[in-house]
Order: sequence, then structure tokens, then C-alpha cells
Amino acid sequence: MSNLDFVAEGKPADWVPLGETQTVVDPMEMFFKLPRKTEFITGSEAARESIRRMNVDVAIAYPITPQSETMQQAGYLYDEGYIKDFYRGEEEIGVMSACSGASRAGVRTLTATSGPGLMRGMEAISSWPGARVPIVLMDMCRVINTPLAIQPDNIEMSFMLNTGMLLLHAEDQQDFYDYPLVAAIVSEKVDVTLPCAVSVDGFFVTHARGQVSMTPKEYKLPPRDGWASAVPAMDNENPPARLSRDAPIQKSNFISYHMHSSWQQEVFAAVERSAKYFDKYLGGLIEIINPDAEEFLVASGAAVSQSREAVRQEGEAGRKVGMIKIKSIRPWPMRELVAALKNAKRIMVPEFNQAGWLHKELCSTLYGRTTGTMIGGPRVYGGMTMPTEMILEWLADARKKQL
Amino acid sequence: MIIQDNLLLNRAEPDGLGGVQFLYKVKGYGVTAISKPQEELSHIHWEVDVIKYVTEIPLKYEVCHTTDLAKKTLKFYSDKALNEFLDKAFKYFEELGLLENMLPDNDRP
Repeated sequence: MSNLDFVAEGKPADWVPLGETQTVVDPMEMFFKLPRKTEFITGSEAARESIRRMNVDVAIAYPITPQSETMQQAGYLYDEGYIKDFYRGEEEIGVMSACSGASRAGVRTLTATSGPGLMRGMEAISSWPGARVPIVLMDMCRVINTPLAIQPDNIEMSFMLNTGMLLLHAEDQQDFYDYPLVAAIVSEKVDVTLPCAVSVDGFFVTHARGQVSMTPKEYKLPPRDGWASAVPAMDNENPPARLSRDAPIQKSNFISYHMHSSWQQEVFAAVERSAKYFDKYLGGLIEIINPDAEEFLVASGAAVSQSREAVRQEGEAGRKVGMIKIKSIRPWPMRELVAALKNAKRIMVPEFNQAGWLHKELCSTLYGRTTGTMIGGPRVYGGMTMPTEMILEWLADARKKQL
Repeated sequence: MIIQDNLLLNRAEPDGLGGVQFLYKVKGYGVTAISKPQEELSHIHWEVDVIKYVTEIPLKYEVCHTTDLAKKTLKFYSDKALNEFLDKAFKYFEELGLLENMLPDNDRP
């Protein structure tokens, strides 16, 4: 945009977008070396601070509770000049399709949604991996099924598991600041070039405050290089623009099944290739507490916070219980989990959803690789809470029944 | 920033409602400060109680509404107000601890 455009939007003639005053730093410096200051802020505010440092070119979203707060904050960032373009789409299919177009044009693209909004946008979202568009999707989880509710429940994450999306699960406000920045960088790696969703349990994190350690706002990530990707950006200045890099791949509405199957294989191979980058930037795909324990709690998202407290209280009682926090759902940390749980005698998976998708994923991984007992639960859903006592009672019950 | 002095434990809100709990301790007494999620962000507040520790390991405490500091659960809508209360409470607990130590062993609470 020129300064005349800014003036037309009501800015003074000498206005400079604040994003242009930020200094670009290497991701490793941003994630591990820059000094940090801790603030006590909500998950939505943590997301705003993450977006401020993400060097976003375009953000598009449609409001839905509990995502609305974050994208309202993103609107302020646009007004301040940290985001180059921003608008509210007409609804989620339109939003997710517009994100696809923006990302194909080679710019860093951000969106956010929640529960039913994610479901409505799923047709477009599930086309992103095949289109190789490195979009960052912030997903504030909420109930999706009838009766209507706006409370936390992360069943929606299970709908993304087999799309070819990268998928991180943030535990708290700190993760919801850190993970989107990592998502932006990893999704744009040439050998990855995939969209990345960062899910978080709505309300429990987005609408609650927590301590967040952040780098100075004067620094931002490097911009996206649209040409450095598995499928180079469309050149919209010189039509006809191709949707696929190689002309024979897509001809009219026809594609050979050979082509399509190899295309899908490549998408899922790219998911696996992203693991080395997440490992580097997240400090491991999983976090382990008490690695030599015989009993383990394995959790992701907000269930991790409750599990941490359960582990602490078990420690007070003289019992060593281990805990594994799964940071990355896709890529799935199969090798890490098998190694960490090979000697476990009891494995319990607390979750904030009815279906127990994390338990099922873990069962698939550990089938034939552990002699330990798998326990699917405790589970809460529809906005229910998971008090620490619930986990402790399940542990006591499993011991009593010698499961 | 929330005061970190005398902080015994910072954990997820134990009822599982989301948010955090800060537990402070000075000479057997302390403060529990809980911040939970609210639909309206402007309604987010601190729910504060004066507590008396039963044991530190395992961590057990009782809510104490019999001190001059607070006869009921308090609400603070800003970090500044919480910090001011904590400053006041820490001094009060120091003094209370000294006074209680002056009592004969049998009369100590």
C-alpha cells in the first residue's frame, strides 16, 4: 500500500506501519536467544502477541466464540500496521478458500476459527495440504455437536488428523504464544510446504490469564519467500496461473489415480519430514516428566496442566507417576512415544472429548509394542471440567482393580 | 507482574475450570489467589482467600476468615490491587507469626 492508501484509511500523511519498524531476526534467535519478559495475559492476548511477531501478510477470519477475541485483537494489529492486510470473510468456507488463494499467491496467511466454524470450513481446509499452502490456522476448540454449546471440547481436532495438516496442541497461554510462531516457520520449509493448525482448548486458555514469557515486540520473523516452496507461488501478474506446478497433473477435472495417489503420498511424507523442524524449534515433540516411572499419564492440551498437578500430588504421597505431554499431534511422535513408554506398566490418557481420539492414536502406536495396560480416560466433554481429583481417583481405581 | 515473593506454588486451577492458582506462604499463613476464565474478558478477576497451612507436604490448607485481613473471599479486578493486598498480607503474617510465637506452646494455634 502507498501512503495515499493509508491516508484514505484515516492515517496521518507521515504514518508508518509499525510492522515496518520491526527488525527481522532468525527464527532460532527469536525462539531461543532474544531476552524475554513475562506478562500475565489471556490466551487471546498471547495469540495477539504471537501474531504481532509473525510478520503476517494477510489475515482473514469470520468471528465465532471463543475465537472472536483473538481476531478482534488481530484487527487492532492491522490498524497499527503489524498485519499488511486483514478482512472479515463472509463465512468459513469463504474464509478458508480465500486463505488458500492468498497463500497460493505466496504470502504468509493466517486465520483462526472454533468448533462449528472449523466444521463449516473443513471442505476448503482439507484441500489445503494437497494444494501445498502453508497457512497458519489458530483453532480455539469448542463443542461442535448439538445441543449448542460454546464450552471447551476438543473433538474437532480429530477431524483434522488425516487431512495432511500439521497439527500442534497448545497446553496453555505460553504455548499459544510460542506454537503459532513455530508453525509459521515450519509450514514454510521447502520440504514441508503444508498448512499447520495450532489448536488450544477454548475458554480454559483463551479466556483465562496465565504467565507468558515473550520476546520484545520490536522483533519479527523473516517474511515468507513464496518461491521457496514445494509448489511455487502463482504468478498472478502473468496469467494463466496454474494451480499445480506440473501441467499434466491437473487437466480440466481429470487426474489419473496414479498421479493422485503419489500426490497424497508426498503430502504425508512431507508431514513426516516436518518432524525434524518441530523437534528443533519446540525442544522435542513430547515432554516427559519422571521418565523412569511405571505409571504414565499421556495427555495433550489443557489436560496436560491437570495431569501435571496430579503428578505433583502423587509425588507428595510418595508415588512416582510419569507424564508425557504430546506437543505435536501431526507429525505424530511415534518413535518418541514407543521409546518413552516401553517399560510402562499402566498408561492412562485423560482427554477433553468423548471419543478419546488421543487414546485411539496411542493404542495404534503401542499395539504390540508395550505390555502395559492402556486406560482410556478420564474423559470430560461438552464443557465439563477435569478436576485433578478425577485423575487421582482414576489412578487409585486402576491400582485397586490391578488394571 | 504478579508478586513472586513467598510464592509456594503456581499451578493450574485445581477444579479444572482453567486458569491458575497462586499459593503464597508466610509463617504458617498464606494467600490463595485464583484467576479463572470468564466469557467477558473484562470480568476476569482474582478470587482471593487468606489461608492457614495444615501441612506443606502434602500441601494442605484451610480457608481462614478469622483474620483482620479478610473475613470473606475477596475479589480484585486488577493485578495492582492484588499486589497491594499481598504486600499488606505478608507484613501482617510476619507480625502474626511473631505474636503467635510469643504464646505458650499449649496456646499456639
